[in-house]
Amino acid sequence: MARDKIYLEEVFPSPFMQLWLAFRKTPVAMAGFSCFIFLIILAIFGPVLAPHSPIEGQLDMPLLPPAWHANGDVSYLLGTDELGRDMLSRLMYGTSLTFGLSFIVVIISLVVGVIIGSLSALTTGIKSSFLNHFLDVILSIPSLLLAIIIVAILGPGIDNTVWAVVMVLIPQFIHITRYAVKEEFRKDYVLASRLDGASPFRILYYSIFPNIVDRIMGQATLAQSAAILDIATLGFLGLGAQIPLPEWGATLANGLDLFYIAPWTVYLPGLAILFAVVVTNLVGEGIRHALKLRKDL
Amino acid sequence: MLIFTLRRLSLFIFTMLLLTLLSFSLSFLFPGDAVINLSGAINATPSQLAQLNENYQTGSNIFVQYFAYLQHIINGDLGLSMASQSVISHEIMNLLPATIELSLVALLIAMFAGIPLGFIAAINHNKPSDNIILSVSMLGYSVPVFWLGLLAILIFSINLGWLPSAGQISLLFEIELVTGIQFIDILLSDSPYKWQAFSDATAHIILPACVIAVAPATIFIRLARTSMIEVLNTSYIRAASAKGLSFQQIIFRHAIRNALIKIIRHVGLQFANLVTIAMVTEVIFSWPGIGRWLIVSIDQRDYTAIQSGLLVLSCFIFVVHILTDFIYAALNPLARGIKHGSR
Amino acid sequence: MNYLKTVIGVCFTLLLLSACNEEGKLSLSQRSVIYCSEGSPETFNPQLVTSGTTIDATSNQLYDRLIAYQGEKNELIPALAKSWHVTRDGKKITFYLRKDVTFHQTDYFTPSRLFNADDVIFSFNRIIGAEHPFHLTSGGHYPFFQNIGFNKLIDKIEKINDYTIRFHLARADSTFLANLATDFAVIISAEYGQKLAKNNTKHNIDIMPIGTGPFKLKEYRVGSLIRFYRHEAYWQTPAQMEQLVFDITSSNTGRLTKLLAKECDVSSYPIAHEKITEHTDLTLESVTALNVGYFAFNTTKAPFDNVLVRQAISYAINKNVLLETIYQGHAEFANSILPNSSWAYDKNTKTQEFDLTKAQNLLAQAGYPDGFTMDLWAMPVQRPYNPNAINMAKLIQADLKKINIDVNIVSYEWNTFLHRLSLGEHQTFLLGWSADNPDPDNFFTPMLSCSATQTGSNRTFWCNQDYDELIQKALKTSNINKRKQYYAQAMDLISNEVPLIPIAHSKRYQARGKDIIGKIMAPFGGISFYQVGKSTINESSLNEKAQQDESITSEDIN
Repeated sequence: MARDKIYLEEVFPSPFMQLWLAFRKTPVAMAGFSCFIFLIILAIFGPVLAPHSPIEGQLDMPLLPPAWHANGDVSYLLGTDELGRDMLSRLMYGTSLTFGLSFIVVIISLVVGVIIGSLSALTTGIKSSFLNHFLDVILSIPSLLLAIIIVAILGPGIDNTVWAVVMVLIPQFIHITRYAVKEEFRKDYVLASRLDGASPFRILYYSIFPNIVDRIMGQATLAQSAAILDIATLGFLGLGAQIPLPEWGATLANGLDLFYIAPWTVYLPGLAILFAVVVTNLVGEGIRHALKLRKDL
Repeated sequence: MLIFTLRRLSLFIFTMLLLTLLSFSLSFLFPGDAVINLSGAINATPSQLAQLNENYQTGSNIFVQYFAYLQHIINGDLGLSMASQSVISHEIMNLLPATIELSLVALLIAMFAGIPLGFIAAINHNKPSDNIILSVSMLGYSVPVFWLGLLAILIFSINLGWLPSAGQISLLFEIELVTGIQFIDILLSDSPYKWQAFSDATAHIILPACVIAVAPATIFIRLARTSMIEVLNTSYIRAASAKGLSFQQIIFRHAIRNALIKIIRHVGLQFANLVTIAMVTEVIFSWPGIGRWLIVSIDQRDYTAIQSGLLVLSCFIFVVHILTDFIYAALNPLARGIKHGSR
Repeated sequence: MNYLKTVIGVCFTLLLLSACNEEGKLSLSQRSVIYCSEGSPETFNPQLVTSGTTIDATSNQLYDRLIAYQGEKNELIPALAKSWHVTRDGKKITFYLRKDVTFHQTDYFTPSRLFNADDVIFSFNRIIGAEHPFHLTSGGHYPFFQNIGFNKLIDKIEKINDYTIRFHLARADSTFLANLATDFAVIISAEYGQKLAKNNTKHNIDIMPIGTGPFKLKEYRVGSLIRFYRHEAYWQTPAQMEQLVFDITSSNTGRLTKLLAKECDVSSYPIAHEKITEHTDLTLESVTALNVGYFAFNTTKAPFDNVLVRQAISYAINKNVLLETIYQGHAEFANSILPNSSWAYDKNTKTQEFDLTKAQNLLAQAGYPDGFTMDLWAMPVQRPYNPNAINMAKLIQADLKKINIDVNIVSYEWNTFLHRLSLGEHQTFLLGWSADNPDPDNFFTPMLSCSATQTGSNRTFWCNQDYDELIQKALKTSNINKRKQYYAQAMDLISNEVPLIPIAHSKRYQARGKDIIGKIMAPFGGISFYQVGKSTINESSLNEKAQQDESITSEDIN
């Protein structure tokens, strides 16, 4: 890479930039990343781009097969369901529900989790030990089971699902942040700034966060794929999004009765979920791979 | 070992307290009267209600109430189902074994499929077969299990007609419920069609167990792969190969054993995950287990059943955790030492 | 590689096992039939219920009646009573009972005597006599009999001798015999009742049933299965099948999957008819059932206490689209609550057409020019009269949106749904009615009479004196033409007052494997497995002949 540099000063990219530079080198991860960006755009603009309404159907066109079938219709590219609702539009709206919501869920729980996690990293003694045990208990319950428990308490519905998944993910972020912060605290550079008289919060903000952001990102992708699957599964079980919301899992459950006569109403939402999770996992793998590369250097 | 046991025991008690506390507080969080939520007696007459209030000590402070609740649980009284008015502890005793049976079979399948594949991937590290195994495993843990189950039914039950799609056993066979674990019940029964029933039950369990096994198997692949790579990089392996042992001898005599030890720890953790997947799969394969029952209960807002079901299920998961910890400790004395020494 | 060997070994053993399995199972499966039913029964005594699921599981399997229906014209034929006699004034009816009828012998009861007059008196007195020891067991509700005013109709039941019995009626009732032949008027064992009373386990009479029917109960697991064994000492020739299993599968797709995967022989209420007819080894059959699916109002709640609002809504609903989408054309357009196939149906019955301007005008007249918001309760299960109420609710929601009425769709679990309906918590609802006997009164009285508002089967709470008078008059006469006139007037009244909007009279569908022969469904009432048998493939020609003999219309394509 040619650089026009006047001063011969070595530029150290920030850890985040280093991660990105390493990440860019794996083509598969980049492919996953571009799909991820595509899904985010779809989640934001899907409702504008969708050709039809996801809830109001054309009642005279029920169960139209996808366009590539002999009796499909091009204006309903992926066919329609039993109420004549366009599957493509439902899936596009569903992107903002399943994928978009899971993204928001991860952001919320990340922020909350990181804050609690870094604060708790500063505690010691009995409080810390209790928190340790508590986290152990919570983390050993599978996230889906925990989400089901919380939905059982709050009652079914998409908003409750979101809260349930947020609550499930927060402990994971607390755990990873706490662990990472504690680890960093033991390092010499932290000791150096401590000796300089920096307050713990200053150290956290200026010294530690830039160095653990990559690990939190890695956890975030894991959380994202879990969140997509959890939201979709709850929707499928009828505990999440309620009819007529076009959440992918709920759309799939809605198609169950039509499985044998209109299989696309089951295949398509399933594929959408699979695609979103695979894409997220690809990005996650890319990040972890990049982390490893960086460490090995 | 004694200290290890004591530590586990204290963790167990701590967890149980936390779980019962959670379950107890659920009765207040759920809509409706706490006593009715706890007992499930929705059609109780005033006199019965007064009796229940006394049993659950609702007049006293919250600690007394909690201990009254604990007493009920220890006596095995989990109340009545609000929807069907049947005794919940009986229902759970009938349903939980079915879930355990399914999860165990799935766990075995996941281990027998996942671990060798992971080893193969590790041995061929960075070769095409490694990449293929990794990509397949990524697909495996990305696929939504309910969708996979539906596809499996469509392909193997309907199109190919190889395996049955629903239930534990063909209803033609009359097997009395004794333990709840179908295979044991079949062997205990005096049905003239014992062996047919046995093979029929086997055919019924294959499809759901395989569907459940997919996700944990991919995790075992990754675990086995990493631990094998680590082991292969250790100096004793290098020493062995320097000694002139063949590659096969190294793998089978040394590497596998040491790599396996590391995996066993995770089996317990995976079991919890697997039980959750099983809950969803039970719905699709109409498996008469606790997961399906719990989800139906949530749908029907059967609070007593939800509360007790969750309690039993999470206790069960914990017991498994602790058991695997013990097994791990028994297999690997190092673990005991480290735990002890780290204190 | 040790474990690989084990795996291969296990697989091999399993293969071997499944190979020898096929032969043994053949004999067992040849002697049994599995029916995928849509829900759990509430009880095993049909006297206590009106729900079709319970009737299907109990009535014709476990019990017999004094008299029965037969043939297309629904003539009354002898059953447990070998003959009967009605006096000229229609007030005294004498039954002469069979002397060779045995009750079930099961794990929990062994009868010591044959069926006789005591059992008949025990069965009917339980319903009408408040002082009967079992009257209040299981709640004391006998909805069918309360609807038809059974206890007021019967003065007393007299035992003439062990095998002769006489009903004394308070007034002549043209439907009395028809009602005795319904699925509800079953005969239960007096001896069993005495035994239970002695052991202080009275409630078992409806949970562990003893009857005279072709099958006896072996095992019931709630929400999972009902297992029946053949009653070997049945008074007619015993049933062909030794074992009858009801596989309770409430999911529609689940039933279809089991049918396609050959895990059940017969399936109730199948979905995806095209898929079934595609399979050459499956048969889809239907009977024109006497039923009606409707959209009804709680006429005690505003704004539906206003007849103009009800009329407006009836103009705004496009029934033809509902018929096309929900019933997929497998149903008849309903003009009134009475199906066109009933003899009492009047061809001149007028029907509300689909007319949005009229609807809007009426709504404005009623004082709601800008519309309002309402709740619509849609039942959660598939019934013959309405295969998918939730989707129908969505369509109605779209229709009513056009006249500015916002609809919230509400649904509960089935038993809760019915319970809350009977409490009158609803504004409007989707439900239906399946006839229990071919008499037209079976539609008019239970659905809309004042007395039915108390028993809970009239959930519109519409109580109209003129209407009640008309149907009472129709009951008292046995002159067919007069009855027809009264019913025509009653139907007119309904279409003016619109307590409910009849939508469709649908067929009842059932799917079965080609190897299952014998009639199962009847145009009204529950199913019966008495005549069901299994044929091997070679006998398929016989099978076809048997199919032709029946009044069932087979919709099979090939």
